[in-house]
Amino acid sequence: MREVTIMGCGMTKFARPLPGSLMDIASEASLKAIEDAGAGDRDFDAVYFASMACGEFAHQTAAATALVDELALIPAPTHRIENGPASGASAIRDAFFGIASGMYDLVLVTGAEKMSTVSGAVATDLISTMLHHEAEYLHGATLPSFAAMLTRLYMKRYGLTENQLAAVAVKNHENGSKNPYAQLSHKKCTIEGVKDSIMIADPIRMYHCCPVSDGGASLVICSAEKARELGIKKPLIKIAGLGQATDAHTLQEREDPAVLKSVQLASQQAFKMAGLEPKDIDVAEVHDAFEILEIVESEDAGFFPKGEGGKAAEEGKTALDGELPINPSGGLKSRGHALGATGLAQAVELVWQLRGEAGERQVKDAKNAYALNFGGFGDNSVVTVLRRTD
Amino acid sequence: MSEEEKKMIGFKCKKCSRINYPKRARCLSCKGMEFEEVELGKECELVTYTQVYNPPAGYKGDPPLMLGIVKFPNGVLAMGQLAIDHPKDLKLSAKLRPIWGMLREIGGKEVFGFKFELAKKEQTSKLK
Repeated sequence: MREVTIMGCGMTKFARPLPGSLMDIASEASLKAIEDAGAGDRDFDAVYFASMACGEFAHQTAAATALVDELALIPAPTHRIENGPASGASAIRDAFFGIASGMYDLVLVTGAEKMSTVSGAVATDLISTMLHHEAEYLHGATLPSFAAMLTRLYMKRYGLTENQLAAVAVKNHENGSKNPYAQLSHKKCTIEGVKDSIMIADPIRMYHCCPVSDGGASLVICSAEKARELGIKKPLIKIAGLGQATDAHTLQEREDPAVLKSVQLASQQAFKMAGLEPKDIDVAEVHDAFEILEIVESEDAGFFPKGEGGKAAEEGKTALDGELPINPSGGLKSRGHALGATGLAQAVELVWQLRGEAGERQVKDAKNAYALNFGGFGDNSVVTVLRRTD
Repeated sequence: MSEEEKKMIGFKCKKCSRINYPKRARCLSCKGMEFEEVELGKECELVTYTQVYNPPAGYKGDPPLMLGIVKFPNGVLAMGQLAIDHPKDLKLSAKLRPIWGMLREIGGKEVFGFKFELAKKEQTSKLK
């Protein structure tokens, strides 16, 4: 397999609403990445477009073709990648295979979602369609309800406290306040504020949940040979490891509903491919659509022993200056969660971190980075490990 | 069959005996394709639950919508709505039983299925 390098990145601010159409958002993110890569007037061998539900939210299908047209990249081959909220990381993965195989040299990967077009109840319903249709969706199950049932189970088993759960939200809002792209960059919160926020699905409160977001993010990816040929001045970021695994579609049929086995498997694959171990990671972006997930994911990824993720957050181990900073961007909680754009926004943040371009939220001397993007509620996990190669 | 006679059915793999619920084309454990229909049980135990204050579009009851995961004596777990009025004293091992009822509307059509109520019914169900 050929080495694959991230040459450029860019994203829009996440917001609800973000002005403009789905295509405006997708093209803004794409053009920023193209500019960042210094690939202004180049043609691309392929364009990958990630969106979970652009047909449902934005009434636009075949949106990948529309994006290629918008960016004047005709006749580049393109298609949309849909893997629920993990569409973004899945698109990066597919682009990796396109380059690693030798088929392509230079590709654009963009994710975008425009969710603000519908009411909260309709958005909740649309997102819930990713659950098992007969056994979950038809019963009125929602993603917050799953997070709530997991939280209750996990609290009973591991003694997670409300303060520990709240500490994750406080940390992510603190990080997000340093990120100009974050949807909630203007909002910090306190432990008491989290515990007093309105109940969404008990014991899950508003400050345990990510917001509904519009946003786009994009990467320019190329072979290492191409990067050398183009004479890139910025530090080169290698896609060092990839992992992906599925689990039973229904939460209750998994070996243990309090364990995210797909996260364990995907992480193990990615670490093996990168020749790294969890302890080698300097910075991580994980899929905290709900704060309980950051805790469970940080354990199942191998960063902390099972049952100790909440304690680690409370003790500051996952803060910007902690032993493993998690979600320096603010995570889904503060940066926002524009479904198909999220996996790409995680990668953009990590590229900035590895290049040393993350400003106030820069993690010191970051060389190896880990991203976890989640499809469904733990039934499809995609892990990407990035490494600065200079 | 009357509504009272409806039973929650699982699909026991004829090859490995795993009871799949819901049904799949192939058994999750061994890829077997032949199943025997078995009743999951008249009583089950609450494993975890929540009250959803922002139910999805199509849910016609008043919030909160109660959802839970239950475990049957044969080990099978199922998720469903809980028809329980006063959940304050609800314990995670509470004994429940499946009942048939309207779940929600999708595309303007009513969807029916099993939900769960307290086995020792001290309250009237609000969801019937």
